[in-house]
Amino acid sequence: MVRAALAQNRNIGQGPIPGAACVPAISVMAACLLTALPIVSTSGWYPDFGFLMLIAWRLLRADAWPAWWAAPLGFFNDLMTGHPIGFSVALWTATMLVLDLIDRRTMWRGYWLEWALAASLLLANETAEWRVAQIMGASLPFASVVPPLVISALSFPVFAWMAARLDRWRLSR
Amino acid sequence: MATARPGWSRRAQYGLFFSFLAAIAGLVIGLVLLTLSLVAPEKYASVRGIALDTTAPLTSGLRQVTATVGGVFTGAGNYWDASHQNAQLKRERELMLQRIVEAKAISLENRELKASLQLREHSRAPVAMGRVVGSSFSSPRRYAIFSVGRSDGVAVGMPVRSAKGLIGRVIDAGSLASRVLLVSDRASIIPARILRDGQPVISQGRGDGTIDLRPLEVGRNPFKPGDIVITSGTGGLYPPLVPIARVVRLDDDGAIAIPLADPASTSFAMVEQPYEPQAVAEEAGGSAAAP
Repeated sequence: MVRAALAQNRNIGQGPIPGAACVPAISVMAACLLTALPIVSTSGWYPDFGFLMLIAWRLLRADAWPAWWAAPLGFFNDLMTGHPIGFSVALWTATMLVLDLIDRRTMWRGYWLEWALAASLLLANETAEWRVAQIMGASLPFASVVPPLVISALSFPVFAWMAARLDRWRLSR
Repeated sequence: MATARPGWSRRAQYGLFFSFLAAIAGLVIGLVLLTLSLVAPEKYASVRGIALDTTAPLTSGLRQVTATVGGVFTGAGNYWDASHQNAQLKRERELMLQRIVEAKAISLENRELKASLQLREHSRAPVAMGRVVGSSFSSPRRYAIFSVGRSDGVAVGMPVRSAKGLIGRVIDAGSLASRVLLVSDRASIIPARILRDGQPVISQGRGDGTIDLRPLEVGRNPFKPGDIVITSGTGGLYPPLVPIARVVRLDDDGAIAIPLADPASTSFAMVEQPYEPQAVAEEAGGSAAAP
C-alpha cells in the first residue's frame, strides 16, 4: 500500500469519464440495437445480444445500475427485437433479483462459476421465449432451444470481455 | 450504490431497500404488460409500429451493404465450377424451352375454355412493392422486417409474396415499415396443395427455416422428394397457385420442405390484398365471437 502510494502518480487527473454511470445501460441498449442489423436469419439461432450484455455487466459488477433499471432496458429490448411487450421487462428484472439473491449465497466468484451462472440464465431466457411462443400459438418441441442456447452460452465470454473493457474505459483505469 | 451490505448508513440502507421495491414493481409491471400482449396484442399495435419506423430506415440503408457482401461471395462461388455449370444450364434450357411451348399451349386452351364458360378473373394489383430488410434474430418466432408500411397502403393481415413464392403475411404495420410473419414460423398455417396431383395438404413452419407438410387425408404418405407445394386459396387469405415450398425429406406421415422464396436472398417482394377479404373478415369475427 505504502509502496503503491509512493509510486509515480500516473493517474493524477484521471478519473471516471463524465456520465460513467450511464455507460453500462447505454452499452446494453446498443447491444439491443444490433437486431436492427440488416441480416435475415432463417434459423433464429443468433444470441439475444441485449440479454447477454445485461448479464455480462451484472456478473461483472453488482452496482452497474440500480436493479430496477432492468425494466426500462427490457422495454427498449422488447420494442427493438419484436418480443411480445413486457417479456424482457419481466425477465430482465427477475434476472436482476435472482442475481441479487445469488450474490448473498455464493462464497466465491470465479470464471467457471460466472459462465455456469450465465448459461443457466440463458437457459431460463430461452425457455421463457419458448413458453411464450407456445402460448402465442407456435408450439415447438423443447429441443429447438438447444442450438441457440449453445451458441449464446459460447458467445457469453465475448460479451463478458466487452463489459470488462468498457468498465475499464469508463472508470479510466 | 447497491451492494449487498450497505453498512451502517441509514441512507444507503433505504436506498437499497427502495431500489429492491422498485425492481419488484418493475417485475410486476412487466408481467402485467406481458399478459396484456398475450391476451390482446392489438393494444400495442401503435407503439410497435413506431418502434419499427425508428429502426427500419437504418436497417434498409445497411441492407445494401450486406447484400453486396453476400453477392460477392455467392458470385465467387459461381465462378468455381463454371464450365460444368454451363453445360448443365444448357441442358436445362433445352428442357425448359420444350416445357414453355407446352405451357403456352395449355394456357391458350385454358383461356378458350374459360371464355366458353364465361368465367371472370379479377386482376390482382399489388398493394405495394418492398424489400425484406431484416428479421428476428433470437427467438423461436420467424419474423421479417419489410420496407413498406401503412403510408404505402399496407395493412395487418395482407399476404406478402415474391416472384419465387409466398413469403408470409403482415402482422405489424408501422407507417414506414412492417413486420411479416414468415411461412417458416410455427404459427403460420397455410392451406396448400401438392402441385403434382392437387392433393390438399397443410403447411406449418418449424421455426428454423423449414416447413412441415401434412396431408389432410390420413393414409399413405403422398409426398415425394422434390414435390412443389402451392397455396390452395382455402380460407381466403392467401391467393391460390402461389408456390410455397419444395419437399426435401419425408418423415413418417408427412414431409419437411424448404420455402422457395428464401427471405435472406429475396430482393423485392409485393404485398397483396387478402384474396377474399369478406371470408377473412368473417372468420376473424367468428373467432373473436367464439370465446
